Amino acid sequence: MTTAPDDTGDEARKQPRVHFDRHAPEYRHHFEEKTQEFHGGCPLAWSDTYGGHWVAAGNRELLAFARAGEKLSNDHDVHGERRGYQGISIPAPPRGRGLRGGFLEMDPPEQRAYRGALNPYLSPAAIKRWIPFIDEVTRACLDERIESGRIDFVDDLANIVPAVFTLAMMGIPLKKWELYNEPAHAGVYTPPNSPEMARVVEAHMAMIKDIAATLQEVRATPRPGLADALARMEIDGKAPADSDLIGALALLIGGGFDTTTALTAHALEWLSEHPAERERLSREREALLDTATEEFLRYFTPAPGDGRTVAEDCEISGKQFKEGDRLWLSWAMANRDPAVFADPDRVDLARGGNRHTAFGLGIHRCIGSNVARAVFKRMLLHVLDRVPDFVCDPEGTVHYETIGVIQGMRHLPATFTPGRRLGPGLAETLETLQRACDEQGLAEPVTVRKAEAKLR
Amino acid sequence: MKVRVDPERCQGHTLCAMRAPKVFELSEIDGHSSPVTEDVPADQEDAVVEAVRSCPERAISVF
Ligand code: SF4
Repeated sequence: MTTAPDDTGDEARKQPRVHFDRHAPEYRHHFEEKTQEFHGGCPLAWSDTYGGHWVAAGNRELLAFARAGEKLSNDHDVHGERRGYQGISIPAPPRGRGLRGGFLEMDPPEQRAYRGALNPYLSPAAIKRWIPFIDEVTRACLDERIESGRIDFVDDLANIVPAVFTLAMMGIPLKKWELYNEPAHAGVYTPPNSPEMARVVEAHMAMIKDIAATLQEVRATPRPGLADALARMEIDGKAPADSDLIGALALLIGGGFDTTTALTAHALEWLSEHPAERERLSREREALLDTATEEFLRYFTPAPGDGRTVAEDCEISGKQFKEGDRLWLSWAMANRDPAVFADPDRVDLARGGNRHTAFGLGIHRCIGSNVARAVFKRMLLHVLDRVPDFVCDPEGTVHYETIGVIQGMRHLPATFTPGRRLGPGLAETLETLQRACDEQGLAEPVTVRKAEAKLR
Repeated sequence: MKVRVDPERCQGHTLCAMRAPKVFELSEIDGHSSPVTEDVPADQEDAVVEAVRSCPERAISVF
């Protein structure tokens, strides 16, 4: 933290100053120090990086922003039709992508219409119906590896279960999960200047094409799911533009795939490093599963933050803001705020009063929070039951090089005492599950279908 | 003890129902919370206090 010598004009407002570059590879290694610096005296500061923006790192400050209503905007004006705001990424993705990041880059009332259409598919009651489905995908993933005594928890488990389940909810054929998997993860971890980028862009285009085709298909031949909900939705009696619907579907893919993978991988890596805690969690799961899940969410915060644009001159949390100012809300740093969390850099599986912000705060609270929790918990329990003595291999572990977008992992290999298969492999299981989706209408909203998935 | 959830503040994080499942009911549609009754049974008071401490939006009040 420094005080800039220039205290004239607009610069006087932009105090205190920090240098904050969350896309730099060093940030991952210095996250705790950097976070302590913010909490030590500048929970709300200005950084000149990426065209200049505010950084909010304190829990109190984030809550104030969450409650600021129309003073902040999520809008991404990709066609320059409104006020030119740049949405929730800082820096904004290169121009010309032409897609808004779904309802996360919209403001009410438009945003509310989307959430209203999608909530009945994603509420706690809606997700509970899918538990047997999630269990069956998880079982098949573990069966594929269990006789060998080796698994990559990312490639062989945590990439697959969230992907298959997300597609099931959307109403997209399960066997397409690989088509979506590559862009959903590589699109996040590949640095812009990497030689891999051309291939990633190609995979991303193939995914967008398939999303567009899905939209056409469900219009022609309706089948239940999130895609159908969007295809049928209207705002003030009018259907939204296809590009916005495609953006919304891409958001659901991005949100559904990479984040839960990141949470699961980090939690399993931590549990491998803390075998006594792993045994305790397994033994006392009745009491600890919920609190441990929330604690892993707090500590690892897969989606570290979101950008906003200030929509009117105003004062929030004691600072003066001007219309157009950019602002980074750091959910990850607020989750280490010592004013709210005792001993914030320690993992406490039984932590009480865990009002973490891993799913954000306010009206844009992660719409998939109930999906993430359910998928994470089912994967974790299956691992604890079937490969309880797993040991992760630090040599083969690959973390995302930068954690500016998602704090993720590419590989997490582990070994364990081999066990017995319980059923068919993944390919056959996906065929069985696809039939169940089609015959039982599993992807209907909870307002239409209340029953749990029946798989045996 | 009485409990209230401010519907303007609640965003459906569901932590209250995890901490005090007998006291808070979540909407089937959007997961937003409301107390089953305003009066908290004596044996639920600790759980409700923990729910208050856990709500990310600080939407729950007891009085
Ligand atoms: S924890 Fe708070 S925000 Fe979440 S459902 Fe309960 S009252 Fe609502």
